[in-house]
Amino acid sequence: MASVNVMRKVEISSDAVSVDGVALPVCGSGEAMLDWIYRTHVGGYPKYHKMDLLCKLGFIASELLLAGEDGRFVPRDDRAVILFNRTGSQCDDLRYLSTITEGEGYFPSPAVFVYTLPNIVTGEIAIRNKYYGETSFYLISGPDTWMMLEVAGQAMDCGGVSSALTGWVECPGEDKLECMMMLAEKTVNFAD
Amino acid sequence: MEELILELKEEIIDALNLEEVTPADIDNDAPLFGEGLGLDSIDALELIILLEKKYGIRLSNPQEGKEVFKSVAVMAGYVKDNRKK
Amino acid sequence: MTAVCAADNIISPLGWTTEENIAAVLAGRSALMPHEWAFGLTEPFVASLVDRTAVSERFGAYAGMYTVFEQMCILSIREAVSAAGIDASSAALVLSTTKANVDSLGTPHYVPPADSAARIAAAVGVALPPLVVSNACISGVCAQIEAKRILAGGKVPAVIVCGCDVQSRFIVSGFQSFKALSPQECRPFDASRCGLNLGEAAATVVYVAKDRTQSGGWILRSGAVRNDANHISGPSRTGEGSYRALRHVTAGIAVEDLAFISAHGTATPYNDEMESIAIERAGLLGVPVNSFKGYYGHTMGAAGVLECILSMHAFDRGLIPATRGFGTLGVSRPVDVSAAVRDVPPRARGFVKLISGFGGCNAAALFLKGGE
Repeated sequence: MASVNVMRKVEISSDAVSVDGVALPVCGSGEAMLDWIYRTHVGGYPKYHKMDLLCKLGFIASELLLAGEDGRFVPRDDRAVILFNRTGSQCDDLRYLSTITEGEGYFPSPAVFVYTLPNIVTGEIAIRNKYYGETSFYLISGPDTWMMLEVAGQAMDCGGVSSALTGWVECPGEDKLECMMMLAEKTVNFAD
Repeated sequence: MEELILELKEEIIDALNLEEVTPADIDNDAPLFGEGLGLDSIDALELIILLEKKYGIRLSNPQEGKEVFKSVAVMAGYVKDNRKK
Repeated sequence: MTAVCAADNIISPLGWTTEENIAAVLAGRSALMPHEWAFGLTEPFVASLVDRTAVSERFGAYAGMYTVFEQMCILSIREAVSAAGIDASSAALVLSTTKANVDSLGTPHYVPPADSAARIAAAVGVALPPLVVSNACISGVCAQIEAKRILAGGKVPAVIVCGCDVQSRFIVSGFQSFKALSPQECRPFDASRCGLNLGEAAATVVYVAKDRTQSGGWILRSGAVRNDANHISGPSRTGEGSYRALRHVTAGIAVEDLAFISAHGTATPYNDEMESIAIERAGLLGVPVNSFKGYYGHTMGAAGVLECILSMHAFDRGLIPATRGFGTLGVSRPVDVSAAVRDVPPRARGFVKLISGFGGCNAAALFLKGGE
């Protein structure tokens, strides 16, 4: 069985960001911090503003992870996007719930409803980077790195998958961020 | 009418999260869908909700939307004629 | 190592067992009916909903300690595990659900999906931490593909896959905001189709690892998950992800080997058209196509498991299920859909499940009967 190497790692908390262990200077916290990072380090992708908090978090993490990658944006199907959290899309779920209150306040919003599925963040990353391979989202009880790399590794054992964007992307509360995203590659064990 | 057009532009920018767009960027007669703002099917549905929420106009059929949302100018004309709020 | 289906169970408005469900489907029965004022919604909708009181009664003691979603999962898993004759304490559990307990979101009774999975695992005797697949409507097929991967790891002898979703104000209103629902019973692939119906079910398959020397039984031979990389809710106009997934799982398989393709067939104008394009691009126009949505509606997280189970059991009876609600072909590619039950051709060795979901994801899985 092939083993998995973590090539790059991005960590985002509610008020701090680090890339491969090096702190990235940021402004603000929560969603405002993510928006600041978008304006300062990304830009030119207006779809960002439609995203819910979970998608913004996953999107920004992936942008920092993939910045400067050779051959980025060339369509490929050999990279999987496999992400995890505990509460799914709960942040956006609560927001959607507020659009369907009884009586006068009943205006169900399709733009909010579409984000009430956690896997949408994997779709946003796939659209942005032209990834035609596997995209998946799993719910587990906590950021168990070993389990996440095992699931991603098993996906990479399938023929034709050479790398994966994987890790924990969670919004445990209003404006609270927990993210640890890795770029993992399959290495072949020549002893096999 | 000018006031309504400006108001509509601001409402559209707000409802569709078009953060990088200002009312000055939106041409009154430019198509909203296709080129121009490049709105999609979800945006169309949100515009239908905007009409109801803000102006009390019910569009039951998304197909009606294609005519009404041709441009901001067309939209403004429709709102002026049909608004209940 | 081969992933073999040891046993299965379906709980739905059409029955408490797979037997009851497949009999109902082959007899053309459906639980789709109009609902007015359900979930406090003013706009009526057509759906296939379980009787929650009946579920609690069947669950018995401690029903009040579990949510409807949990009760359905536990009931279904217990049936399947018992029929498979496996020891749950050494098995893994993979749950498939899109919204789990969202019907109680915003109340003090709300249980997040991962926590629910842990409660379900404990109730059925699974010791390992469970995995929940939340990959929109393709979750049920993804969960089975994941089971195959877990078995390939060689650490557990069995994986229980359970797909389940319950309907709610949250979900129905959301689809209504998309104007995606049909006001009547849905018509998959039909010229007058205008939207989907929603449904509820719990469906379980127990997968075990069998080495190649043991034959017989259904095997999950190959699975693939592919993204359209196009739009987060609209299907790809070229059926990109579906085509790539189909191409992967049918590589080296002849058209004659396939009895049918169990399509997603939700009866929205765009989905069915997209699938017909993908099927043509994959060179599979010669394979009969069916949709189960006319019997159950779209059961979301359960669909991928439910529809594979029904496909296996129909094939076992030598039959290709009819597409209830279909009349005249209304997609641009000449896919072979029928409103009548058909016979499985003698050469056929299995079927393909095809499925798509929000987020641009698509999946396909190849099931073969009795050996490679």
